[in-house]
Amino acid sequence: MAILSLGRRAFLRTTVAGAAVAAFPLPLGAQPKSVKIGAVHPVTGALAEIGQACRLGAQMAADAVNAAGGITSLGGARLELVPGDTENKPDVARAEAERVISAGAQLLVGAFHSAQTAAMVPVAQQKRVPFLIDISAADPITANVADSVKKGEQKVQYVYRNFPTSRVFGQRAAQFMAEIFKEAGVQPKRVVLIYTNDLFGQTQARQFQAAVKERNPGFEIVEAIPYPEAATDLATEVSKLKSLRPDVIAPVTRATTAILLLQELAKQRVEALGIVSPGTPGLYEAGQIAQLKELVEYVMDSVPWPNFKNPRTQKVAEEYVKRSGGKTFDTNSGYSYEAILVLADVLERAKSTEPEAVVDALKKTSIKNPLMVAAGPLTFNETGDNPNASPAMIQILGQKPVVVWPRDAAAQKLVFPRPKR
Amino acid sequence: MRWAALAALGVLIALPAVVGSYTLTVLIFVFFYAYLGQAWNIVGGYAGQLSVGHAAFVGIGAYTAAMLSLGAGLTPWLGMFVGGALSAALGAVIGYLGFRFGLRGFYFVLLTVAFAEICRIVALNTEAIGGAQGLYITFTGNPRQFQFPDNRAYYYIALGLMLAATAVVWTIERKRFGIYLTAIREDEDACQALGVDTFKYKMLAMVVSSFLTGVGGTFYAFYLFSLQPNTVFGIPLSVEIVIRPIVGGAGTLGGPILGSFILSPLAELSRFYFARGGWSGAHLIVYGGLLILVVLFLPQGAYPYLRRLLARRA
Repeated sequence: MAILSLGRRAFLRTTVAGAAVAAFPLPLGAQPKSVKIGAVHPVTGALAEIGQACRLGAQMAADAVNAAGGITSLGGARLELVPGDTENKPDVARAEAERVISAGAQLLVGAFHSAQTAAMVPVAQQKRVPFLIDISAADPITANVADSVKKGEQKVQYVYRNFPTSRVFGQRAAQFMAEIFKEAGVQPKRVVLIYTNDLFGQTQARQFQAAVKERNPGFEIVEAIPYPEAATDLATEVSKLKSLRPDVIAPVTRATTAILLLQELAKQRVEALGIVSPGTPGLYEAGQIAQLKELVEYVMDSVPWPNFKNPRTQKVAEEYVKRSGGKTFDTNSGYSYEAILVLADVLERAKSTEPEAVVDALKKTSIKNPLMVAAGPLTFNETGDNPNASPAMIQILGQKPVVVWPRDAAAQKLVFPRPKR
Repeated sequence: MRWAALAALGVLIALPAVVGSYTLTVLIFVFFYAYLGQAWNIVGGYAGQLSVGHAAFVGIGAYTAAMLSLGAGLTPWLGMFVGGALSAALGAVIGYLGFRFGLRGFYFVLLTVAFAEICRIVALNTEAIGGAQGLYITFTGNPRQFQFPDNRAYYYIALGLMLAATAVVWTIERKRFGIYLTAIREDEDACQALGVDTFKYKMLAMVVSSFLTGVGGTFYAFYLFSLQPNTVFGIPLSVEIVIRPIVGGAGTLGGPILGSFILSPLAELSRFYFARGGWSGAHLIVYGGLLILVVLFLPQGAYPYLRRLLARRA
């Protein structure tokens, strides 16, 4: 009879309570201690594919650390990821940072898009949660925090970054190009920059121009030609480019416009020593190469890249192909993977999850053999950035992207100028 | 109804003492979007002039306050009113063009969208305000700079904004101005024939609405700490502003608030329950599905339905 006398209210009360218990499972019994890391990425929305690569990279790294016995100095504590989704919106990024922290995250990684990362920074600073930015290039994100600590407005900097900043992208691109031209024994004088006029293209173009002006590498940018982000035809832009008689064409594109641009360059028979990008997507992804075929052969691009000369990177890359269902281990999965490894190293040395102890250990980080191509050991400077985080120059050789510069990371010898067809 | 509202207000004021920071964040966005929705409600709901470009006012308000703070060191507490004034000026321009030349319905929608897009493209290409990279604001936690180390401060400010906008709408509703606006929405020609200067009142509605929306921009800038043309001037933000009053009931006092209390938690809950375990994206499908149900079964919005329900009970 008890069941029959269960009224509507009582029913609601018990089911709601039951649902609440089911939704928040409490740790049962004696589980090993764990450290929770909030991993917030744009898993849905326009950047979904990238965000999912980041999330998988971070998860694989946590699994690898746990399989190797967890954090020894914390009694074998396991790393547990609390995944978050920014939906590619800054307001959601802020709410998600709050949510993962309320779910117990003691550390944060994320968030790919600079605006979303910037929205998470005040949460990390307010809540004293060390935040290692795995990907985001905008310089002010860390510099602003370092600045306010210096002025005494904030006590401690909790925000660090292991990714090249926009400034570094521009500097390295100018430096690599000068070195490559010297290595090849040619001296191109006229570089024409052609770029997509959106957040990414503008930033890359501006930083590259600034770096060329500053370093005076023996070539000059005779013109920077912007094109609309949703361009469906680049005939005018390319004919303008052709009239400038460039020695080197430096494109900054998006995936679809990369195809338009290379096809148009071939159609209008624009002659140049080569196509060398200061850093762009669209020129090295498997799908793009399959579509562009010969057109993309010998094209160079300065991008953050996994260092496949490191045996560990190779192992991780093979595992990544398996777990992602055939995708390649690249910049995004790579840097998110590395961020978790850095945090594991930091926790090991901090011997605690106390925020100040973690920050102290973070500042003393020095990892000799990072997974990604770098200009030196992985450390953090006074602004909280890794000064050695760097892109690498890759070239499409035999329809595959290969690191060709800097020399220590090069897997093959570079080909420049582009052989005449 | 009045007692219920007062009781709800009492709960909201006391809430920060008991709930965690994440719940506060969700509520901050509930209040903030309710505020923007309420501001939109004046011109979009009461006057029935469908603006889908209100993001432009948020953007102008946000950029103005941020630039004045970064460049001239002016406290955003004052900058927010400068931003509001500039937004109102743009609102007047859009309103003048639209109302003077008798653009109605879809044509007015297109006009507002076009202006928002112009703002976005101008911001995208203006080096002085950061271009596509936008502006990054340093987090200092200094209240003078409209920044607070404690989330509760943001909570009360957002709540205050929502209540202030609601008070403005409440006043308008009770004045002749509000009656004129409703009359314009229902039948503009008849209204004009009765001797109401419809142009004047539509302009006034647009200016008040854009001023309030511009003031809200400051909150956006100093709560999210970075401004990009694509996010603050983009169409998605305009839709976020419009959708709450529509779900809650456009042209009603409680509509934007109720809509915001329905939509924001719905988005959070669906993310919380359906975004786990590799089902990334499932929560958006659930959210979209629920949204369709609300529109199907409550075409007038949730607030009028709730009122009828309460009236029947009483």
